[in-house]
Amino acid sequence: MFRLSTAIALVLALPASAEEFNFAVTTDPQTMDPHAVNSAPVLGFLNNVYEGLVRRGKDMAIEPSLATSWSPIGDGEGWRFVLRQGVTFQDGSAFDADDVIFSYERASSEQADTSSWFAPVSDVIKVDDFTVDIMTSAPNPIFPDSIANWMMMDSGWAAANNAERPDKEQGNYATLNANGTGPFQIAARQPDLSTVLEPHAGWWDEVEHNLTRVEMTPIQNSATALAALLSGDVDFINPVPIQDAARLQGNPDVQVIQGIEARVIMLGFDQQSGAAESGQGASDMFLDARAREAVAKAVNVPAILQTIMRGNAEVASQLVSPAMRGYSDAQAAPYAYDPEAARALAAEAGLTGQTISLKCPNDRYLNDEAVCQAVTAMLAQAGMDVSLDAMPVSNYWPELRADNFDMYLLGWSPGTFDAEHPIRFLGSTPNEEKRLGSWNFGAYSNDRIDTLLPMIQSEIDDSVRQGMLDEVAKIMQDEVAYVPLYVQPLVWGARANIDVTQRPDNFFILRWVTVN
Amino acid sequence: MNRFLDSDVFYAFRTSPVAIVSLIVTVLMVLAAVFAPLIATTNPFDPASLNLMNGFTAPMEPNAFTGESFFLGTDDQGRDVFSTILYGLRISLFVGVAAVMLAMVIGIFLGLLSGYVGGWTETIIMRAADVQLTFPSILVAMLIFGVAKGVTPVEYRDQMAIWVLILAIGLSDWVQFARVVRGATLVEKSKDYVAAARLIGRSPLTIMIRHILPNVLSPVLVIATISLALAIIAEATLSFLGVGAPATQPSLGTLIRIGQGFLFSGEWWILLFPACTLLVLALAVNLLGDWLRDALNPRLR
Repeated sequence: MFRLSTAIALVLALPASAEEFNFAVTTDPQTMDPHAVNSAPVLGFLNNVYEGLVRRGKDMAIEPSLATSWSPIGDGEGWRFVLRQGVTFQDGSAFDADDVIFSYERASSEQADTSSWFAPVSDVIKVDDFTVDIMTSAPNPIFPDSIANWMMMDSGWAAANNAERPDKEQGNYATLNANGTGPFQIAARQPDLSTVLEPHAGWWDEVEHNLTRVEMTPIQNSATALAALLSGDVDFINPVPIQDAARLQGNPDVQVIQGIEARVIMLGFDQQSGAAESGQGASDMFLDARAREAVAKAVNVPAILQTIMRGNAEVASQLVSPAMRGYSDAQAAPYAYDPEAARALAAEAGLTGQTISLKCPNDRYLNDEAVCQAVTAMLAQAGMDVSLDAMPVSNYWPELRADNFDMYLLGWSPGTFDAEHPIRFLGSTPNEEKRLGSWNFGAYSNDRIDTLLPMIQSEIDDSVRQGMLDEVAKIMQDEVAYVPLYVQPLVWGARANIDVTQRPDNFFILRWVTVN
Repeated sequence: MNRFLDSDVFYAFRTSPVAIVSLIVTVLMVLAAVFAPLIATTNPFDPASLNLMNGFTAPMEPNAFTGESFFLGTDDQGRDVFSTILYGLRISLFVGVAAVMLAMVIGIFLGLLSGYVGGWTETIIMRAADVQLTFPSILVAMLIFGVAKGVTPVEYRDQMAIWVLILAIGLSDWVQFARVVRGATLVEKSKDYVAAARLIGRSPLTIMIRHILPNVLSPVLVIATISLALAIIAEATLSFLGVGAPATQPSLGTLIRIGQGFLFSGEWWILLFPACTLLVLALAVNLLGDWLRDALNPRLR
């Protein structure tokens, strides 16, 4: 009898030691396929399930993950990666060089959204079971930095489940299921409803977290998410509405974790000559650099930060924040607010009397719609007539891809933490074949930048490289390629008994979470 | 006039405090909306007049940066909440009245037609009405709004938004009118005066409009009043969901949507004042409609 009661007591005691952790996100990751969609909500979440050859530590520095070491081959012909031995996927199969080759083929395939990461790669060669050579067409000193989100998938699992290529539109087995080497595995997945994770027992690295079950719930409305945090329904939310941060700090049950994200919010322009917007005829109004400069001078960024951002963000001068490698100190001065000059420039460039169509997401960035409204008002004060159209992000990207805009709002967080990244995606002339400029919706184009980009990519000498980055930053500033507004703040909220680590890429890494 | 003052309806009105109060409130609201440009201190629809630094000013308190003070405070863009409510009330009432008119015209016409003509015409119209009733009217309105927005050129979109709203709500609301009018028409059709009119050779259209319509109007009036309250709420709902009035021309629903984000942070006035205005307006119109139904229904007297 005594034994039985002890056993019962033990059984009863067990659930109390189980550390369950519930968190809310604004955007549910649209897929569990690490190669299907290149967006922060997807990659950030899947970093807990899948792993790459390298990963980023708490300070964003690159550290070994599935590769234990790497070194350049010869005179910059490529990189040799030595793989970690004894790593198993969550279904129990072993990880080796074949999986790397497979993951390369999968992630660089036409169907993959991540293929642009592999633009510099010419070939991937299996040397032996645990050594892989990745050859690049030109010396590429930052290549290891650029593949932290390139996640390894098991070739056997993908073949068995008929998911050897990602399928963004239709979806396949890998859209709902996952099999990575990472610290957590997916126990249940209901898109837009809930995703349950459990620790992967055979994970190769030392376990820092103490979680036994994790549930992620998408809550789109940030006020609802906040209410859930306050009531204890969830242990963590991202983001905390910026207007609520100050009040939340006074609450002993919760904590606010603030930082500066790597993401720069900017305005982009339609700069294609003769590009006809649907039903609007040719809208060449922003081909003239003076028109773009008028916008730059008309927007009072400090006022936006003071009111809408409540003093929680910093003015941006270029496409990357000062925390990024390759930030140009020489170009650190943002455009000065000068509504009179803006009015004159707008008149000169013939903007007056035209309706500028400004597209804006309303659920992607912090207070995105409010910022666009403020921009609309500020441009109106400088004599420009703006028609604002704010929409959910699922409609937003197709609208931008269809060129239905004169101006748009974009946030850019360089995945490599390097100033080269936005030049490749936003600064170079769009070129599908070379996989360049794939997010340059307005088709900004400058020959000098196109010439400089490959030189920047292959330059080993840091000061020469910085010189070229400075030149690009200067060209983009002088030509007003984009109008950088501010560096987005990071505001996370957690219950007081939760320890988390905040990284400037806004990835929420579960292996650093402890419940006290 | 004397005939009206002497009537049963006026007597019922005179003796009902609820009716008197709700009529006064409704009339005041309509006046405030019509004369909004004269009463409002600023024009919130003119983006050039906004100063972002005035954002989040509490009611009756001076702003920390600009020193300006606002009767009911300001929203996140520095718009004066009082002026915005007045202009928003304008949109809400205008959209509500116009949408109900549209629904009424369509509903009465189709109701008369199906009631008087009968046969295939009736079957088609009434089955179409049944099908539409199976969808919640707000969904129908969203569908119409989405399609209309898609086909409108972007530079007209802001101006067109209000008309599209009217169309969307009006088209989603005609069924009730059609059903009531059809029922009443069926009753009137078999009466002698219709037979007499037919006998002297009046055309069916004349009979429908000149003879039957005046006799089916009183239930229509009741539905119209109640529909008005519903249309106002439908407009607010659409705007609350972000598919109605453009963000740069906020209606009451848009204001409530904006204000909802600031409830936890203590800026209660952005939500509270527009919400109260909407509540009072919808309640007054609804009570008026309720009273009218009772007053016009001989069985309740």
